[in-house]
Amino acid sequence: MSTAVTSSAPAREPGPSTSPPARPSRLRQLPAALLRALLTQRIVLLLVLLVAVVVTFVVLSQRNYLSAPYDASYMSAALISAVPLVMLGLAELLVITSGRGGIDLSVGAIVSLTSMVFGFAYGEWGWSLWLAILLAAAFGGLLGAVNGFLVAYVGYPALITTLATYYAFSSLAIVINAQQPISTPPIQQLYSTAQPVSVLGLPVPLGTLTFLLPTAVVVWLLLNRTTYGRRLYAIGTNDVAAQWTGIDVRRSRFTAYLLAGVVSGLVAVVTVAQFASARPDAGTAGNGMALPAITIAVLGGVAITGGIGRVAGVVLAALLVVWLNAGILLAVPGNAGTQFQLFALGAVLVFAALLNGLTTRRYGAR
Amino acid sequence: MSTSTTTAGDRPPAAPRTREATARGRVLPFPITGQEIVLIGVIVVLWVALSLATPAFLTSGSIVPLFVATAPVALIGIGMTVIIITGGIDVSVGSIVMVCSVVVAQQLVASDLSLPVAVLLSVAVGGVLGSVNGVLIAYGRVHAIIITFGTANLFRFLGLQLFGGTTVNGIPDTLAVFGRGEAGRTLGVPHSFLLMVVIAALAWYYLRHTAGGRHLYAIGGDANAARLAGVKVQRRVLLAYVLTGLLTGLAACFVIAQGTATLAPNVGDGMELAAIAAVVIGGTSIMGGRGSVLGTVLGALLVQTVTSGVTQLNWPSQLASLFIGIFILIAVGADLLRQRARRTT
Repeated sequence: MSTAVTSSAPAREPGPSTSPPARPSRLRQLPAALLRALLTQRIVLLLVLLVAVVVTFVVLSQRNYLSAPYDASYMSAALISAVPLVMLGLAELLVITSGRGGIDLSVGAIVSLTSMVFGFAYGEWGWSLWLAILLAAAFGGLLGAVNGFLVAYVGYPALITTLATYYAFSSLAIVINAQQPISTPPIQQLYSTAQPVSVLGLPVPLGTLTFLLPTAVVVWLLLNRTTYGRRLYAIGTNDVAAQWTGIDVRRSRFTAYLLAGVVSGLVAVVTVAQFASARPDAGTAGNGMALPAITIAVLGGVAITGGIGRVAGVVLAALLVVWLNAGILLAVPGNAGTQFQLFALGAVLVFAALLNGLTTRRYGAR
Repeated sequence: MSTSTTTAGDRPPAAPRTREATARGRVLPFPITGQEIVLIGVIVVLWVALSLATPAFLTSGSIVPLFVATAPVALIGIGMTVIIITGGIDVSVGSIVMVCSVVVAQQLVASDLSLPVAVLLSVAVGGVLGSVNGVLIAYGRVHAIIITFGTANLFRFLGLQLFGGTTVNGIPDTLAVFGRGEAGRTLGVPHSFLLMVVIAALAWYYLRHTAGGRHLYAIGGDANAARLAGVKVQRRVLLAYVLTGLLTGLAACFVIAQGTATLAPNVGDGMELAAIAAVVIGGTSIMGGRGSVLGTVLGALLVQTVTSGVTQLNWPSQLASLFIGIFILIAVGADLLRQRARRTT
């Protein structure tokens, strides 16, 4: 009885064509329609916020309130921090969309442990780069599969499973090499190969082109152009109904966790290159990587109850946070700047969550 | 609540017992659940094994610090149990510990507070932060985990601003009553642990034997049904978060007392996960509607036993997390098996 209760709070109708009764005068309903679009279409809201943030900081920059110019090349260089954020946000998108309280607290720990494994393979055993990247993806997938098996087949609650595996994986990552990071010459050279490349005269971090874009495109194709994507939305919306339509609910949910693990494994490679060393606490230091990733997913309009979520929302949310953070660093330099980033992230998340509640009440469940 | 109804079973021998139960007007389950007995067994086995491996383990020099270290996590866990019973969760308690402890530590240094004032201040700050969570969750009607992720960041920002980029140094030992040292115990019993046990007993009574406590279970079982049955759902939920805030404030005092004279900004890191781990190992269902404070206290004790056991065996201390993770999986697995068994019989 207890399993299905959580997601059933609002009786959600999956039918997208809930056309309201015809109203008079198109012109008069334009403001209302705009407001409605702003509130119910998360992507519209994010675009408006994104433009507002960028315009604000550009204006501040031109009036010399910032410690360095906030221009196109600064913004594109800031994208380096968007790489793990977007990728892990997409991992959370897959897992949360799979429904039944789906969430993955262990992505940061998977990044840590996979970083170490990648470090061993590439830095110590002398594997070729491609093979080592493949290994990282496969190993991440294996760790994700542990989560997926426990959640989908055994029936553990996702929050608890991934809390437990968070503990286990992060502990293993630290113990595996006696707390020591791996930074042998091959790994240090990885840093120099990951220098920004010039696109239209802007320094674009290499990771955005080699890892972020392909991942985003593949996840988008997966969700919107394959049967698996439709199945994932179906089981997230109502897994009992999905079962009755003949979908293998367990397998679909298992796959979502496995894919989240694969993405986390790729993030590990990016992180190793970025730090020029495989650190045992790469994904778990401080606040860790999981909490920001979940924040990005929720901000991007992924419904925590499952079944709703789009790639574009996650990407826009990550861009919003990254460019906001980059601006804050220029406006409030030093240590205080990173603290204000925490504030911004928290405030934006609470705001987005309250807005979700408001729109659900005002316009009905989407 | 589900246990009582299912025992009215299909097997004839069960019938007289049910009649007796209804005659007494009680629909409460047995005070100690299977999980708790198992936990006691596991803790005893661990203690015996550890004392065989390292003879120093069962001496008072080792056991008393273990009890002292259990107190703050168990205290937060008591609040967390109440929240999880209502079907919510609070991942901001670590940040609340940070804010409370920095406020109190700074005031101790600046104005040399007396013990009661320091504790009251900490509890009050915790209560205010908890009520922020509670209001947003109960009246904003948003998912608890999202809101508390957000407020965790906000509280952490607040705490870091208060720290101002440095540590708080030279904290006087006003709070030593809750510490590890001689001042912290009477007849060998540490005060912090004793206080935690008293609060746990009160919470146990409240949850089990008062209407308000039963309402919390009803909300966790089915919030809509509870509302239709006349439970003031929003007020109860708010109360659960405020209660957790208050208890977290008290726990922050314990944390200061157990530390050195210096308080660093990483105080409270990971406490939310430790508390949730204790609750879950204690057999409380993360889906809400089932759970007990006794289990949580035992869960916290188990977590702390593992942590200090690993240190005393001279294993790498991070290995403790691995065991905690495994214990969480075993505990939840056992709970799932029991649920399944209950459903089939």
